[in-house]
Amino acid sequence: MENLFEHYILPNDIWDEMYANHEVREHYKQLFQYLSAVPHEELQNKEELARKLFMSQGITFTVYSSNEGIEKIFPFDVIPRIITASEWKIVEAGIKQRLTALNLFLKDIYHKQEALRSGIVPSDLIYSCPHFLREMVGLKVPHDIYVHIAGIDLIRDSDGSFYILEDNLRTPSGVSYMIENREITKRIFPELLTQNQVRSVTDYPTILHKNLVSLSSRQTINPTIVLLTPGIFNSAYFEHTFLACFMGIELVEGRDLIVNNQCVYMKTTTGLKQVDVIYRRVDDEFLDPLVFRQDSMLGVPGLMSAYRKGNVAIVNAVGNGAADDKAVYNYVPDMIRYYLNEEPILKNVPTYQLSKDDEREFVLNNIHKMVVKKTNESGGYGMLMGHAASEEEIDAYKREILKEPRNFIAQPTINLSSAPCYIEGKLQPRRVDLRPYALFGPDGIELVPGGLTRVALREGSLVVNSSQGGGSKDTWVLEKY
Amino acid sequence: MLARIADSMFWMSRYIERTDGIMRMLKVNYTASLDKSSGAVFTWRPILKLFTFLNEDEIKNLEFDRRAVMKYMIVDRINENSLVNIITRSRENARGVQDHITLEVWGCINDFYHLVRQDRMHSLIEKDEVLQVLDELMKQDLLFYGTADITMPREQGWWFMNIGKSIERALQTVDLLNVKFSDLSYDINTPADTPYWKYLLMSASGYELYVKTYQSGLNGENVLQQMVLNNDFPRSILYSVEEVFHYFKNLRSDRNLNNFNKVHFLIGKLKSKIEYSNLESISSQGLNHYLDEIRNDLIGITNAFNTYYFAQQ
Repeated sequence: MENLFEHYILPNDIWDEMYANHEVREHYKQLFQYLSAVPHEELQNKEELARKLFMSQGITFTVYSSNEGIEKIFPFDVIPRIITASEWKIVEAGIKQRLTALNLFLKDIYHKQEALRSGIVPSDLIYSCPHFLREMVGLKVPHDIYVHIAGIDLIRDSDGSFYILEDNLRTPSGVSYMIENREITKRIFPELLTQNQVRSVTDYPTILHKNLVSLSSRQTINPTIVLLTPGIFNSAYFEHTFLACFMGIELVEGRDLIVNNQCVYMKTTTGLKQVDVIYRRVDDEFLDPLVFRQDSMLGVPGLMSAYRKGNVAIVNAVGNGAADDKAVYNYVPDMIRYYLNEEPILKNVPTYQLSKDDEREFVLNNIHKMVVKKTNESGGYGMLMGHAASEEEIDAYKREILKEPRNFIAQPTINLSSAPCYIEGKLQPRRVDLRPYALFGPDGIELVPGGLTRVALREGSLVVNSSQGGGSKDTWVLEKY
Repeated sequence: MLARIADSMFWMSRYIERTDGIMRMLKVNYTASLDKSSGAVFTWRPILKLFTFLNEDEIKNLEFDRRAVMKYMIVDRINENSLVNIITRSRENARGVQDHITLEVWGCINDFYHLVRQDRMHSLIEKDEVLQVLDELMKQDLLFYGTADITMPREQGWWFMNIGKSIERALQTVDLLNVKFSDLSYDINTPADTPYWKYLLMSASGYELYVKTYQSGLNGENVLQQMVLNNDFPRSILYSVEEVFHYFKNLRSDRNLNNFNKVHFLIGKLKSKIEYSNLESISSQGLNHYLDEIRNDLIGITNAFNTYYFAQQ
């Protein structure tokens, strides 16, 4: 029988999740043994089964072209990514610490602005940020929580330590894949799952629901909680239905809601019903056409007035984009020191701000070793990968940078760690990142042990975003090691 | 329940029922078209007229071409009323109410959608395996009904699904009868070829009931009696309207009594109209007229749902 690992060739200077110096790491041994013994066909069948399960459950997103919807599955790699208990401990503590500081920062910038006045974060950086919203200034949000849900992206550099890549504090997505990927694994690798004592991720909707209930301002046992979706054409629509379903809350679109006398109501078959908490998956700028974008059909006119009045809670809070702006990212370690008087547990990736003359010059001179990003874009759009770009692309990008340097940051090309993937019948290393989901409620911050491992399926690629040819894996956090 | 959700549940279910009705209709006519009858050549004209938006010239081109008609009615992407498009619409509605239907029901619609879009369907029709295609697809409808029945909670969504389904079924039965009786100039007593009645009853799963009820052989009068007035027969118009009435009663609530009463009146009126008719009264006013009136009443009821339940302000 052909060895599945024959083609597992590791590039230098990369942390591999499974191998350390050609030895299989302790926590990957059971998986390795299984994969070394499993017949080729069986693995292929499992892969096919996984694909069918995704298709039949409609866990797909639709790409519309020439009036015809084409169903696509978010590519799923059957081989799980494994994280040890001790690794998870660091990740968990680091994210809790970071999120605490970021939340304090949001409260600060929308109230006393002490961090700005003491120069921890430059005030012009905040005032120039398009996601800093004056509508939020002085507004008291329930329990002082702004970031109820965070999906902070981590990567591992060649020394194996975790780095924070991005703080997603607005409407992070992907959590349904964390849960669904596990459900698929239960079907295809039940033995391995129990053998390895993998921690469960099923609690996520329960914790989120508990937190949402706690935000209602009306004194009622059964507050009305809704999930506001942009609708079925949104690429994350499956996730919206998934979460609404598991929490037993109503999934609404903007046109289902109406604001009357600064209270929000939904239109039901028996008239209007007051809404207490909105878990929105609609971006700030589309939320209320009276305050933000006037052409938005996705939002609810008057929503912000009800929010300011305290008659409805919005999750995540409005205006969080001022804290996960890529130019603000650089100051998060200082925020941690300032607000918590602690050293950051998880490191930042070194980041150059192109608005600073010396840093810009350095970046432009070393652009082949850099990744340049726009500060207010996400999803892998608007990025320049210096090591892979052509000279023309670089020149064009440089001109754009010089026009508005504030809108760009640069980071040295980081070697994401690699993990084994089953691709075209062979196991091959591919680069991965990790997005754990943190939930912030009145009882504090809770992380479900797991997360979404995104994988760059193209050989040599460092971009894991699904819009750029990325896929995902089930992520196992073990009880031991 | 959100007004929009009620609307989508209603239509999701209606579209499924519509695929069922169209397939039954296709099956009976396809089978009939294979029989060499003594009279004229079999034409698809009545079906094309009722179920498509084709103009006279286009119908002329198609009416004797069995394979082309089947393709147009089942897998054609341009025909708005092809099965593939109706199923797609049902699924779009289901997508919008995914949190109100069970995972199993969603899985059913989803599988149905993927099945009808397979290229295999094209080639099977090409090879004249139409009955296999129809059987396979009709099984998906049965699966849907069974799955919905054993998994859906008995609350508003379920009631709206059943109201939509029953209105559609009544309409389909009206249309099924229209196709044949228009051939016979709506004269109940004209003798027609008996195999046709047989296929019609079989396609409506009503043949067994018919032969148990009537010992005198197949004739249009008895078929009409069973398809319209027999309330033990689940595809009869009377039975379907009674179902609408039955499920609608659940929607009564103090919060919208006024709206409820308006719709209740329309459904009750139609129910009585059918209940208190018989073959003589149908004959005397003309079957054509009778069926048209039922059709219009059903459309009126749908409009009332739109106004009083689905378009809340």
